[in-house]
Order: sequence, then C-alpha cells, then structure tokens
Amino acid sequence: MEDMEVERVAPEGPDVAPVEEEPLFTNLDIFLFSLIVGLLVYWFLSRKKSEETIPEFKRLTPVVTPQRETSFIEKMKKTNRNMVVFYGSQTGTAEEFCGRLAKDAQRYGMRGMSADPEEYDMSELPRLAEIDNSLAVFCMATYGEGDPTDNAQDFYDWMQENDEDLKGVNFAVFGLGNKTYEHFNAMGKYTDKRLEELGGKRIYDLGMGDDDGNLEEDFVSWKEQFWPAVCEHFGVEATGDDTSIRQYELVVPTDINMNKVYTGEMGRLKSFETQKPPFDAKNPYLATVAVNRQLNQAGDRHLMHLELDISGSKIRYDSGDHVAVYPVNDVSIVNRIGQILDADLDTVISLNNLDEESNKKHPFPCPTTYRTALTHYLDITNPPRTNVLFELAQYATDPKDQDTLRKMASASPEGKGLYQSWVLDAQRNILAVLEDMPSLHPTIDHLCELLPRLQARYYSIASSGKVYPTMVSICAVVVEFQTSTGRTFKGVATNWLKNKVVVTDNGHKATVPMYVRKSQFRLPFKASNPVVMIGPGTGIAPFMGFLQERGWMKEQGKDVGETILYFGCRRRNEDFLYQQELEEFEKAGVLTQLNVAFSRDQEGKVYVQHLLKKNKEHLWKLIHTDNAHIYICGDARNMARDVQNTFYDIAEEVGGLTHTQAVAYIKKLMTKGRYSLDVWS
Amino acid sequence: METEKKMQTQVELTDSDLSEQIKAVTKDSHVRAENTELMLAYQRGNISLTQYKLLLCSLYEIYQALEEALDNNSNHPSVAPIYFPLELARLESVERDLEHFYGQDWREKIVVPAATKIYAHRLRQIGKDNPEYLVAHAYTRYLGDLSGGQVLGRITQKSLGLKGGEGLSFFSFPGVSSPNLFKQLYRSRMNSIELEEEERKGMLEEAVRAFELNIQVFDDLQKMVSVTERESELMHTTTRNRCTRHTSTHSKLADGEKLTARSLQIQTSLVNASPLFRMVLGICVALATVGMGIYAF
Repeated sequence: MEDMEVERVAPEGPDVAPVEEEPLFTNLDIFLFSLIVGLLVYWFLSRKKSEETIPEFKRLTPVVTPQRETSFIEKMKKTNRNMVVFYGSQTGTAEEFCGRLAKDAQRYGMRGMSADPEEYDMSELPRLAEIDNSLAVFCMATYGEGDPTDNAQDFYDWMQENDEDLKGVNFAVFGLGNKTYEHFNAMGKYTDKRLEELGGKRIYDLGMGDDDGNLEEDFVSWKEQFWPAVCEHFGVEATGDDTSIRQYELVVPTDINMNKVYTGEMGRLKSFETQKPPFDAKNPYLATVAVNRQLNQAGDRHLMHLELDISGSKIRYDSGDHVAVYPVNDVSIVNRIGQILDADLDTVISLNNLDEESNKKHPFPCPTTYRTALTHYLDITNPPRTNVLFELAQYATDPKDQDTLRKMASASPEGKGLYQSWVLDAQRNILAVLEDMPSLHPTIDHLCELLPRLQARYYSIASSGKVYPTMVSICAVVVEFQTSTGRTFKGVATNWLKNKVVVTDNGHKATVPMYVRKSQFRLPFKASNPVVMIGPGTGIAPFMGFLQERGWMKEQGKDVGETILYFGCRRRNEDFLYQQELEEFEKAGVLTQLNVAFSRDQEGKVYVQHLLKKNKEHLWKLIHTDNAHIYICGDARNMARDVQNTFYDIAEEVGGLTHTQAVAYIKKLMTKGRYSLDVWS
Repeated sequence: METEKKMQTQVELTDSDLSEQIKAVTKDSHVRAENTELMLAYQRGNISLTQYKLLLCSLYEIYQALEEALDNNSNHPSVAPIYFPLELARLESVERDLEHFYGQDWREKIVVPAATKIYAHRLRQIGKDNPEYLVAHAYTRYLGDLSGGQVLGRITQKSLGLKGGEGLSFFSFPGVSSPNLFKQLYRSRMNSIELEEEERKGMLEEAVRAFELNIQVFDDLQKMVSVTERESELMHTTTRNRCTRHTSTHSKLADGEKLTARSLQIQTSLVNASPLFRMVLGICVALATVGMGIYAF
C-alpha cells in the first residue's frame, strides 16, 4: 500500500483545504475486477463446452395429442371427406399403403383420409352411412399366427363381439400377408367376410398381398382395379371430359446427347458396352449362346436346349439355381404399334413423374426412344389390364367403343364377363385391341406410361456349376398358339431364345442378358443320401444338373446313394427329352432308376404319379427309413398337386397313417428341407 | 440351473432330427428372449438411434467372433454342411452400417457391454475347442435374423426414419431369395450333421446357452441406455464443477479474493440446474467483489 500512496502535494493557495484524492479504483481493484470478469467469462465458455460433450440422446416419445377427436365420422364431416382408409399395421407397410390410397382419392373424385383404428371409436362404423357417397377401405396386415396387428386388436374384437348393422356402409379390403405362413392373410379375409356379414356393401374384391412374392406389385395391381370400381359404383367420372390422370409428363428434349440415351440397359448407362461384375438384376451379363438345339424329334411343339457361355463373367452357380434372362419384344409388333399410332418411334423422349416426392422418377429408364421402350422395357404381348383399358377409353372417338372399354374395366358382372371373353380368352394384346377397335387412337406416350414393365424370365438351370462352371444350360418349350382371333400368340422369351443363332452372319455371336438368382433347391449335403426326383416335361431341367453332379461325385469315388428319376412326356418318339443323356447316366450307374411315363403312348393317360404309385413300397422305405430327399419340378397347377396327393396316399397305404397324419408328415418333410418344390404356373 | 438345462435336453429326443430337437430345447429361451425389455420396446417401435447404434456395436463383436470361428472351421464335418458365407455372412454389412452412423473412425467408437464380451469370448472358445457346437450359435443367430429379424428391420426403418436402406444393411440378405425356403434348406443341412450322443447333448445345451448369452446382451444394452441417460445429466454438472474448482485455485491472492472463491464454490454446489440463475448469481458475486474492493481499499 505504501508504494501505492499518492504523494501529497501541498496546494498553492493558503485557504484551500487539502483534498485527499481518493481514486475510485485502485490498481488492485482493477486487477481483482478484471480477474473476476475473466473468471466469469471462462466459466460461461466452459459451460458451453460441457454442453457439447454431452452425447446426443434422442428418445422417441409417443406422441400424445391432448385433445383428440375420437370420432372419425365427426372428423370426416368437419374436413369434408367421404373416404376413410383404416390401417392395421405393425411395421408401417399397411399404413403407407393407406396414405397412398388417401392421396390418390382426389384423382378419382373422392376426398380421403387415412386413420389408425386404435385412435378412433370403431363402433361408429355404422354411422358412415350418414355421409353421402362414403367409403371405408381397410388395409389389414396379418401378424403371427393369423392375428391382428396391435393397433387393430380392438377393432378385431369389436367385429367379433358385435352385431351392428352396417347397412349403407360401402367397404373394400386389401390384406397384407405372406404365403409361407399358414394363416395367409387371415385378418384381411376375416375383415372382408365379416363386414359383409354385418350388412356392409363390398364394392371391390378383397386384395391379398403376398410379401413372399411382391407385396408392392400386388397392392398396385389391386388398386388399379379398385379405383375404376369405385368410380363405377359412385357414378363418378374419374377422367372427366378431356382431363386425364397422367402420372408422368412427356418431355421431348431438344438438346440430345446420344451418349446419355438408354438403348436397353436395365441400370447403369452403357452397362452393355462396358461390362463390370458383379452381375445382377440391374447389371445383367451379356452371355453368348454356345449351343441352341431342338430337343424333340417330332410333334408340333419346339423344345430346346441352350447353353450360355459365362466364362469371364465370374458368375458362379449351383445346380438348382435359376437363370434370369431379359428378353426383347418382336420387332414386327413394335413396328406395327408405331404405325397404328402414327408415331415416329425413334423420337428421343423422357417420361417424368409428376409426383416429385415419388422415388420412381420414370416408368422405365429415360431418356430413351419409343422404339427402345416398346422393344426392351414394356410388356406388349400380355393382355392389357383393366386400368389400361379404362385410361385409354378417352381416346376412342366412337362413343360406343368408349363405353365398351370403360365397361370392361368396371366391377360389374357384365363388364367383367366382357373383359374375360374379349380380352383374356381371346388373348388380345394391346396391338390387337388397337387393331380391333379402329376408333381408338391413344397418344403413344400415354400408352407407354400405362403398359407394365417387361419382366425378366426365369428358367431352372439344366447344368451343374461344379461340372460346367463356365456354362449355363436352359431347357425350355417355345410358347406359340393360335388365338380365337386368328392371330398367333408367341411367348416373348421363348421365341426370342429360339431365334438366338449361335453364329450370326457377320460372325458375331448372339447374346443373352442374364444373371443367376440363387435358389434353395439343392441336392442333399451327403452324397450317400438317396434322392427322388420328379420332373415331367421341361421340369427335368434342374435334374440334369443334379445328375451331372451326382455323376461327378461318383467319379470322385464318393459313396453315392440311390438316385431315382420320374420323368413324363407325351410320346417316346416325340419328346423324350435328353433320352440319350439319361440312358447314359443309367448305364453308368449314376441314375439308379429311370421311370418314364408316356402319357399318349397307350389307351389311358399315364402320368408320373401313376408310376410313383407302382413303386410305393420302395418309395416309403426310402422316405421313412433312408432319409430320402424328394424334389418336384415343373407344373404347379396340376402335376405338383397330384404328386403331393400321391405321397399322401403312399404314406397312408404303406405307412399306415391317417390322412391327417400323412398331410402333417409331408409338411414336416418340407420344413426339414426334405421335400422341395421348384414349380411354376 | 444345470438340472433345468439337462431336463430340457431330455425332452423330445424321440425325433432324432437335430433341427427339431434344437427347436424344442430352445423354445422357452426363445420366448424369454422375445420378452426382454429391449425386445419388447423394439417391437413397439420404441427404438432410439442411440439404442440401435449400440446394438450394432454388439452385433459387430458377436458376428466377428462367430464368423471367424466358422471360417476357421469351414471344413470341420459339423460346420461344412451349414457353412453359407455368401448367403449369410453379416460382418461386412454391420461394418457398413457402423460406418454410416459413426463415420470413418467407427472402430474407435465401438462401445460394448460386458455381456457382449462374454458372448464373443464364448464363441472364440468354441471355435477353438468345440467346433461341433458352432451350429448351435449359427442356428440361433442366423435363423433368427431370417425370421423375426426381418420384421425388426422394417420397424427400425420406420422408427428411425431411415431412407433407402441406409444403415440397415444388417437386415438385408441379398443372397437369399426366399428366407423361408432357405430355412428349410438350412434345417436339412443341420440334420445331415453326424454327432455322437454326448456331442449332441452338449450341442443342445450350447443352443440354450446361446439364447441366454443373447438375452444377457439385450439386458445389458437396455441398462447401458438408461445409464447413458442418467450419465448425461451427471456429466453436465461435473464438468461445471470442475470448471469452478479450476477458477478457485487462481484466487489465492487476497482475503477478498479467497472469500470470493469460497463463495463461488458454495454457489456452484447449490446451483446445478438453471443456467440463468447461475449467470445472475455470477454477476452478483462479481459486483459484490468489486464493491468490497472499492470499500476496502
């Protein structure tokens, strides 16, 4: 303090009292003050830092709306809606579908809202009749053992316990399920049945989506027919006079870079020019055709065997896998469509989705030409679906034709019958429809928007990846028949494959865009395990691969178990496929028993199941005692079912089981992977 | 506990198929696993991003151990039939998901509870000493992933709003076209494994143990998340405390200062919630100190 003392200077004047100059702040004070300020600043800054080090923690709290309208009727009235879509959803799929339906509604003259049945008083359902032109749609998912989803439990209980009168309540149901489960779509089925029992009016059939197949596709197919039915029922004109409900907008680019135009690729541009593994659905491999020969000696059908060269592709496969090929349409049909629609097929175009939120920007890879779209991307051979006819109706200048088209797309029995006979039974494809209805002149871009995508075709591979790793075999029958309109229906893929020449004129080999889809159809792990293979017709395909593999194992000195084949065809001298190869396998002891049923070589029809029955004792021993694996490949509709019934019979007759026990027995074999199916319809 | 397990293995030995026996023996454990707090919340969509990330960390450790053990023993007669690396392997997809959520340096950020370490240790042990028991673990994890796991994938996507499958590679099996048919194939492969009576019993016990290990991981993960919640609050206060203790060491210069320091300390212990309160108090203290300084000197 002493050194800080201010030197007292005596003032000059005699009477002026010495004023002690006291500074407001001494140096020490300033020092302390700045220290405190500094500390405070540090404090605040470090406070902020500590906040940053705290880990992010977001916990989803259930949204609790304080005041909820529990009456969906009131809500509908308040918001002027006439359609309500309820969802029974566990994982959000049904809820999503509901949202899409509600959104679509306005395009069909309805005003829709989606609703969670758990949030509303479902007992108000009868009141829906109070609203004019109202409709209740249900997207119901089935959970577990045929149970309702959590949010639909109360609604389910209500349906069961009550006997309310649902007169005047229009409804439709779409079920979300999975075919591999026993109680496939139980909730959807129950809702549809019960609402009708309670007096509701079903305005469109129950839709059954299969998640084991393609749920999205099932939903889209269902709603494409659902909406026309709705329009028909309420007498609402979905399209109006000239307005049409387009999903895509046609854009003809002026500045075209041909390098950016798609010429048939499935995914990446130029993926056909510069091939890069891995090869899959979006990036198929262009395999060359090494072999293409006819298998049958006589008859009016054409059965063929092709070998695709996959060397250099790094593609690996197992016998039993499937090969997927991307076919293209018949050039003449494409040209005809261009002619009849008066369009320049080589115009480069792009179809852009009007719904900007949609993930699907284009209906097919764009930009491209109409020619490419109709050749590579669109299905022009299958009969057009009803929604296509409905949308095209506006382009018919003859009002009678307009009526016919709209009627065929409607849910009325007359319309359905007309569609069945005129389109389905007569196998009319889009070209035939255009030709047989001359007043119909749609724009080509709208048509391209409406036609479904050309799908890849799958064939069971007829070779073994272990024996022939660089080659994939296909065994197929060409689809070709006369329709009632005098036209020839030609299967797209089979005709395209048939015409694949091994070496073309200019020395180039024909190519097939393909990829391998792994299946679960496999030989048993142990070579010593007996196998029973049943594959009539082209169903023999995977078994050629199995036999090649068993032969290879035998050559390696492995102990190979009994290998039994049941094959069926029409006549020995006509279509005994792979006769030579099979007899060679038999001679080599690889095929221990060859049973062939020639259906037309004698008075009565003889099929594979008849031959199975003849060997019932031996078969039962193999199955029950020797752990045999059973494989069935071919026609799903009749053959597979007949064969399965035969196995039930064998279990009952030789095994002494009751029918119920036999059914359970075969089912158990399936669960344990000892009864496998590779069937198609 | 031991006797309980032995009893379970005695049941249903009439069906000599491994796939049937293993299902029967683990039936109860399966129910218990589904009903852990974590799984119940998960099924209801109450899964937070933090929980999912922690789960992925544990899955990484588990699958690393399992798949290493399987790869090392791929030719073992009890492993070869069920060895499906192309179709089933999860390690790469988990790594991709972890990178998506944690960034390039995800390996340094992995956090796992004790139960996960125990599980991974057990897998490595079996890989070395008893590879014939690996099928029990492969069955428990992979077939689970192909069944209920698929549903969990959709729930995760919806609850966390993940778009385009990002962060969900774990749930996707591009090599399996039909989970159901694949499970059938897998079962037939399991049934082709030849085991002696003792080995079989041991394998079935291991299956029960596999479920228990999974249940422990779920429970530990659940605890971890609740602790993280509480810890975040504690960290908030301890960092503040640390700061003020730091400041108090500076103020040893004068009595006035010492008083200030002590009063600062006292203030922080009293106030650990409201930042505004603290700020106001801080200003008051500063003013008080200044005032004292002026008054004293």
